[in-house]
Amino acid sequence: MRLEIESIDIQAVRPGTHTGVSDHVLYINLKELEEIILRDERILSVELNVTSPGEPVRIVNVVDVIQPRCKLGHEKEDFPGYLGKLVIAGQGKTRSLRGIAVVLSNSFSKRLYSSVIDMFGLGADRGIYGKMQNLVIHPIPAEGVEERAFETALKVAGLKIAVYLARSSVGTSPDQVEIFDLDIPLVLSQNRGSLPRIVYYYQIHTPQHDYKGIGDPMLYGRDVTDLMPTLLHPNEILDGALVSTHTIRKMETYSIQNHPLILELYKRHGKELWFAGTVIGVATVDPIQRQRMANMVGNLIANYLGADGAILTKVHGGMPHVDISMVGEACEALGVKTTVFVNFGHSVGTRSDSLLFDTEVLNAVVNLGQTLERIGLPRPGDLKILGGTSETLVYNPEFKQKAGDPVLEVEGMFLAGLYNHLGGAKIIACEY
Amino acid sequence: MTPSKLKVVHYLNQFFGQVGQEEKADLPFMVKKGPVGPGMALQKILGEKGEVVGTIICGDNYFADNLEKAAEDGVRLAASFTPELFFAGPAFEAGRYGLSCGAICRKVQERLAIPAITGMFVENPGVELYRRDVYICRTGKSAAKMAEDLTKMVNLAFHILSPERGTRLISGENIIRPEEGDYFPRGLLKNEFTEKTAAARGVDMLLAKIQGKPFLTEAGKVKERAIPPPSPIADLTKAEIALISDGGLTWKGNPDGFRGRGNVVWSKYEIDQFLPQNYSAENYEVVHTGYYPLHVLGNPNRLVPVDAMRDLEKEGLVGKLHPFIYSTSGNANTASVCERIGREMAQDLKSTKVGGVILTST
Repeated sequence: MRLEIESIDIQAVRPGTHTGVSDHVLYINLKELEEIILRDERILSVELNVTSPGEPVRIVNVVDVIQPRCKLGHEKEDFPGYLGKLVIAGQGKTRSLRGIAVVLSNSFSKRLYSSVIDMFGLGADRGIYGKMQNLVIHPIPAEGVEERAFETALKVAGLKIAVYLARSSVGTSPDQVEIFDLDIPLVLSQNRGSLPRIVYYYQIHTPQHDYKGIGDPMLYGRDVTDLMPTLLHPNEILDGALVSTHTIRKMETYSIQNHPLILELYKRHGKELWFAGTVIGVATVDPIQRQRMANMVGNLIANYLGADGAILTKVHGGMPHVDISMVGEACEALGVKTTVFVNFGHSVGTRSDSLLFDTEVLNAVVNLGQTLERIGLPRPGDLKILGGTSETLVYNPEFKQKAGDPVLEVEGMFLAGLYNHLGGAKIIACEY
Repeated sequence: MTPSKLKVVHYLNQFFGQVGQEEKADLPFMVKKGPVGPGMALQKILGEKGEVVGTIICGDNYFADNLEKAAEDGVRLAASFTPELFFAGPAFEAGRYGLSCGAICRKVQERLAIPAITGMFVENPGVELYRRDVYICRTGKSAAKMAEDLTKMVNLAFHILSPERGTRLISGENIIRPEEGDYFPRGLLKNEFTEKTAAARGVDMLLAKIQGKPFLTEAGKVKERAIPPPSPIADLTKAEIALISDGGLTWKGNPDGFRGRGNVVWSKYEIDQFLPQNYSAENYEVVHTGYYPLHVLGNPNRLVPVDAMRDLEKEGLVGKLHPFIYSTSGNANTASVCERIGREMAQDLKSTKVGGVILTST
């Protein structure tokens, strides 16, 4: 499977009479975008704003961040199953805009959590999105539209705009072309010499937080709550088969499109290791199902893909930690060496307090940081808020705080783009 | 005294305070102006940066017999100097002295909101008791390296007082690493920046593990805790069984102050009032941010299976359902807090006729 991603670096965004890219500047006709979004009857009206690094802007109620991308050539189905027709993602050419993101704000969500992006100060320095140009989409639902339908409408709007922006760059020559060419049957049959065969196990979801007991669409446009472990080509993940849920849990669509661990394995493929593919699966609340799925993942990795080693990542939460450790044990029992990525959910105690497993074989743990650490984000005098108002509540476990407070005490996991469950952040939790 | 000099108060026991040996260990507090004993060395190290304006001295037994009250008294005496910085000891290996140094430092921080620093030998019981609240520098067993130990304490103090922002921690705090400040870790987890992404570290680690090369896990090691199981229930048909859940179920309004994560409390509720057969679903709240409580809020029996237990009781499979259910919220808690809650529940249950417990989690 071969995928070419052509990237154009966007250095500035300006209003324009038409939408297009010229000399690294993206001109946007906001009226055009508004028309596209309002074609969806679930949306009554929409606020569209562009913001750049350094501006005194705070984006609140953030539920997802998407990189502008579109397919080129024959296979023109973008985000298949969600937006485009159902085809297999991950092949052909994809156009991508770098340095700009589409940010989705939902101020009508009744879910407990959402995220914040600051375009200034400490928040911008810490999260990756405060360093980019951002187009913020903040819609208002049409009357009588059910909460979930509106959430889906917002996601669809974001994906459409991401595609539209990328498509507007066609004709401009790319700054970089990256080729992701991985022929897994060949990888499995080739003489690999001393290079170990490595498989990535990607736990993509946990049902424990399913809002109202229903999963959000993620994989080719459908929910994955009952997904059994399956093989997925890493290119499918990079190229729109998988998007984030309707809330951010350190795995927004942008970081799936730029999956740090998949990119790392590609980078080292053929040099230090053979990248032999990806298995995806979910966590579960059912202990029997947990064992069943752990066994199946271990079996796929060891007996199907013949891996020497596997890297395991998990989603946010304690229960998924148990799932991932059972997958790890299943792999190790079949002779596959593992590394497990975990985050810590407490600010006191030792690093080992967070380990929900006690087994000798899971001895290679990567620590993604203590994601509940609070960061104080002071506001500038002329703060402008997008996606809400200065009265918008920003989650804090101890007190009610508003987006316009003098200092926002935000837990790191709610500063979008700071932590990354998929390995993209340069962070580690240490004992002090 | 120049205005830039910080006012420093120093705490010593009767021995280092040069009042006497063990026979003076019952002496109450006394206050001296200026430095005494090790305070002379402390003053020398502080140099122009600070002045030891007063020394508080207390007998080891007097202090250790009533730590909390003595600490309060000591702070009151220290406050009369309006200090900006406080040192205690170092206490080295001396157990009672270590406790008093830890207790007074903690109280000084609480009451006067100034840094308070002490020093101890690793085996001093004061270390385990106070290291979470107080910066305790590592010292040797004895006063042989007094000047070196005091220098560590002074350096740490000025690092804490420094208004500079740090660059190593995500939070921007300017906290020195335990090994650099040579103090006992305070049981905090803080995020640092790293050179490499987690993805790169993870691939490196896996390759090393496969190749049999040394690698360093980034999560420590779980302490082994072998808990012997109690003897089995001899006759279930006569046994009284209790229900415990950590699913965060409580009365609407959360009267017992559960926290949705990092919870530290538990409660017990009498089933006849809390969860009768004709319960009303709107009376409950789930204080737990780790799951979406759709089914529990619809019917709390799905978390705490009182209905199923009543059936088993009727069938005669179990003797009796204990009339209280025990509830807490278990989400992102530390092991030590969970252990305490478990111990307290077990203690409570031991005063009843309960022979077995069913724990339901989420």
